[in-house]
Amino acid sequence: MQLSGTVNIKAPRQKVWNFLTDPNQVAPCAPGVEAVEVVEPGRKFRAIAAIGFGSVKARFNGDGEFVELEAPDRAKIKAHGNAPGSAADVMSEMFLSDGPDGTTEMRWTADIVVVGQLASLAARMMAPVSQKLAEQFFAAAKKKIEN
Amino acid sequence: MAEINGLGHSMKRKEDPRFLQGKGNYIDDIKLPGMLWLGIVRSPYAHARIKNIDTSKAAKIPGVAGFVTGKDLEKYNLHWMPTLMGDTQMVLPVDTVKYQAQEVVAVIATDRYAVADGVAAVEVEYEPLPVVVDPYKALEPGATKVRDDKQSNHIWHWGAGDEAATAQAFEAAATVVKEHIYIPRIHVASIETCGCLANWDPINKHLDMYMTTQAPHAIRTVLALVAGHVGLSEENIRVISPDIGGGFGGKVPVYPGYVIAVAASVLLGKPVKWIEDRSENLQADSFARDYHIDAELAADKDGRITAMRMKTLADHGYSDSQAAPSKFPAGLFSIATGSYDFQKAFVEVDAAYTNKPPGGVAYRCSFRVTEAVHAMERLVDIMAHERGEDPAAFRMKNFIRPEQFPYHSALGWEYDSGNYHAALQKAMDMIGYADLLKEQTEKRARGEFMGIGISSFTEIVGAGPSSQFDIIGIKMFDSAEIRIHPTGKAIARFGTKSQGQGHETTYAQIIAEELGIPAEHIKVEEGDTDTAPYGLGTYASRSTPTAGAAASMAARKIREKARKIAAHLLEAAEEDLVWDTNKFYVKGSPDKAKTIQEIAFAAYTNHPQGMEAGLEAVNYYDPPNLTFPFGSYICVVDIDRGTGQVKVRRFVAVDDCGTRINPMIVEGQIHGGLNMGFAPAMMEEMQYDEHGNITGGTFMDYLLPTAVESPRWELGETTTPSPHHPIGAKGVGESATVGAPPAFANAVVDALWHLGVRHVDIPITAPKVYDLLKKHGAALEE
Repeated sequence: MQLSGTVNIKAPRQKVWNFLTDPNQVAPCAPGVEAVEVVEPGRKFRAIAAIGFGSVKARFNGDGEFVELEAPDRAKIKAHGNAPGSAADVMSEMFLSDGPDGTTEMRWTADIVVVGQLASLAARMMAPVSQKLAEQFFAAAKKKIEN
Repeated sequence: MAEINGLGHSMKRKEDPRFLQGKGNYIDDIKLPGMLWLGIVRSPYAHARIKNIDTSKAAKIPGVAGFVTGKDLEKYNLHWMPTLMGDTQMVLPVDTVKYQAQEVVAVIATDRYAVADGVAAVEVEYEPLPVVVDPYKALEPGATKVRDDKQSNHIWHWGAGDEAATAQAFEAAATVVKEHIYIPRIHVASIETCGCLANWDPINKHLDMYMTTQAPHAIRTVLALVAGHVGLSEENIRVISPDIGGGFGGKVPVYPGYVIAVAASVLLGKPVKWIEDRSENLQADSFARDYHIDAELAADKDGRITAMRMKTLADHGYSDSQAAPSKFPAGLFSIATGSYDFQKAFVEVDAAYTNKPPGGVAYRCSFRVTEAVHAMERLVDIMAHERGEDPAAFRMKNFIRPEQFPYHSALGWEYDSGNYHAALQKAMDMIGYADLLKEQTEKRARGEFMGIGISSFTEIVGAGPSSQFDIIGIKMFDSAEIRIHPTGKAIARFGTKSQGQGHETTYAQIIAEELGIPAEHIKVEEGDTDTAPYGLGTYASRSTPTAGAAASMAARKIREKARKIAAHLLEAAEEDLVWDTNKFYVKGSPDKAKTIQEIAFAAYTNHPQGMEAGLEAVNYYDPPNLTFPFGSYICVVDIDRGTGQVKVRRFVAVDDCGTRINPMIVEGQIHGGLNMGFAPAMMEEMQYDEHGNITGGTFMDYLLPTAVESPRWELGETTTPSPHHPIGAKGVGESATVGAPPAFANAVVDALWHLGVRHVDIPITAPKVYDLLKKHGAALEE
């Protein structure tokens, strides 16, 4: 499942970068995240997230890692999560560039592989719901950064 | 005096009072003291290495009593099992999983809630491996190997017919048509899922195995063969198959859950119950179909079929665990020449491994007949259209003629009897074929798309003659044992096992016909290996052709003994006695008679000196040939050009299954069969995504027709008895499922042929039809 989007954030690039690469800041923006723990500062973190696709719900235990960091332009995150009967792998990349009037353009892509029960039970809802969740996440992050 | 209700009587089903009042006794109704529950942790990956299994959190859940892993079973060499087709299949994996939803760890707990919590708490760490989903790609050089223990993903090659002569006939043909036809993977989706209750008694070394099986005796023998080394001995294994809520082939295979339950019961010394949930049933149990067919048909300048050729790729998932007779890797696919008279044919099938659940089963189809019939009936229709001939007339011209029976087909079968022209003519008369053609022409002129589809199928059922048919070496006979009680009532037991077909009624009617004992006085029992005579079970429409025949033959043995007793009672010579319905009378003196009830009483109270007391018999019937039911179906559809919706306006089904034992039950079987032909034709398909995730794992995504979608069926019949069956009967349980799909497909293509549409693969969903309409510029858009 390939998702992508662009968000314009009214904040300088370094501020956006600092926010989006800090798991403790980012986590509260992500829908369903219940807990986050930094394992290796600036690199590895662990999270628990409850995700629902319609009536199909799962609580994922996940590990995330910033595998590439090119401040303040590009970051690549790899994450793997397990839920009973399901597993998910995410490879996400974000690209920051200067937007008009001191804003920051953020382009993001995500390649998500979901296997198991969740994929079987929610196959047809997965892409639209994931896109919506991602949009919710970036909207929340944008709001926090801009405030 | 109760009515005898022999052959041809639509007596009400004896089993229905208990079914209709919720008093059936299904596997989940059986409860034993101290019973534990078994649940299964399944793989989310279609292909992965197991790095670690951690049960520590699950073990802390109240009620969780234990776990079984592949490594536990490996100690007893029970982590794998043989399949009926000579392949192997994992019971529980030791290191790798091969399909999504494969069993990984079993959890045992004191109740169903605790077991579900335990399953959710087991943590398994996997290392994903490349996944093979497409069977064509599986056979490409360099493809990821699904099985480490095999040379490649190619399982076997099978062929029948004369390749060279067929090629010659194709070269000489005036018209050749070709089509690639995919018969998708589907699931039997019976109302009741699979399950079992294993009860090992460690003191007496005895196993009671209650399970949802269509073949209890075969299971008993397999258990004894596979687990003999750990103390399971056949005399101490009792397999009990209680009421079954639909089988359709899906309850023939041995699933890992059954074996794990036995192992758990042996390890813990307690009864262990395993009941699948709906998703487990859909995702992991054996599938049906999944044949990719390249089919070709040749005809001469007069439109006579001269040759047929089919090259097929069969997707078997990660193991060839088909439920088919040992010598028939592609089942009875060689029935593919169908109802037509030509002598050059060549069919071949290659089987491939993929990362999908293993199988497949004959879903209401006697071993790959559905696939063969669909391909042939599509070809015949394409040929007729291509030549500009009416599909009905084209069939009539090419049918095997009644006087040609017994007919030897190009691929080696001897068809027992048939009258294909009569069946199609009857269907045409019932539906008003000529008027429909006129209506279609008028509608097409107005831009309305109406289609008429015909399917004239020949089935092949009743496996089978023991010279050819066996399962793991056990010949495919079947059995009946009849005991007449002193008061003239009877009990009859069989090696088959009803899953809702009505055996308790129809077998009683066969015996009623032979002996004159009212069917309601004959108790029929199946499914307990301690009491029933050995048999190979019920699937592939074999019960009436085999065990039904055994019932006749056993009853006739009893009648012969009854004649001796009657002669003694009437003080007459045996050869002077005449049998009439339910009594023997002295030739010329009909009032000097003894009824079967009087004879039965005498068999225990006043039998002749020197004769053994009692009145009972057993018969193991080995049929001399299969039976070949047939029929002609005509379907009329209207296609909505705005949505692609196909509306089935009419469906006439004329079936010929030889002698009808209980016409009402036959009609019920045909109704059910037609619905199970409609469903895959228009709705059902098991789909997998690129990661091997099954995307039809619930009834939200795997579509079954409800009463709303189901068409109205109009039934007709012709009767052409089987010449070799004792009562002339043929199997009928599967005819409609086999024969119906091409009628729908042919109707849809007929509606769209003038646009340039030659073929559409089933299931024919509205989006698929709408895309076709769009592609050919015929869709109505807003």
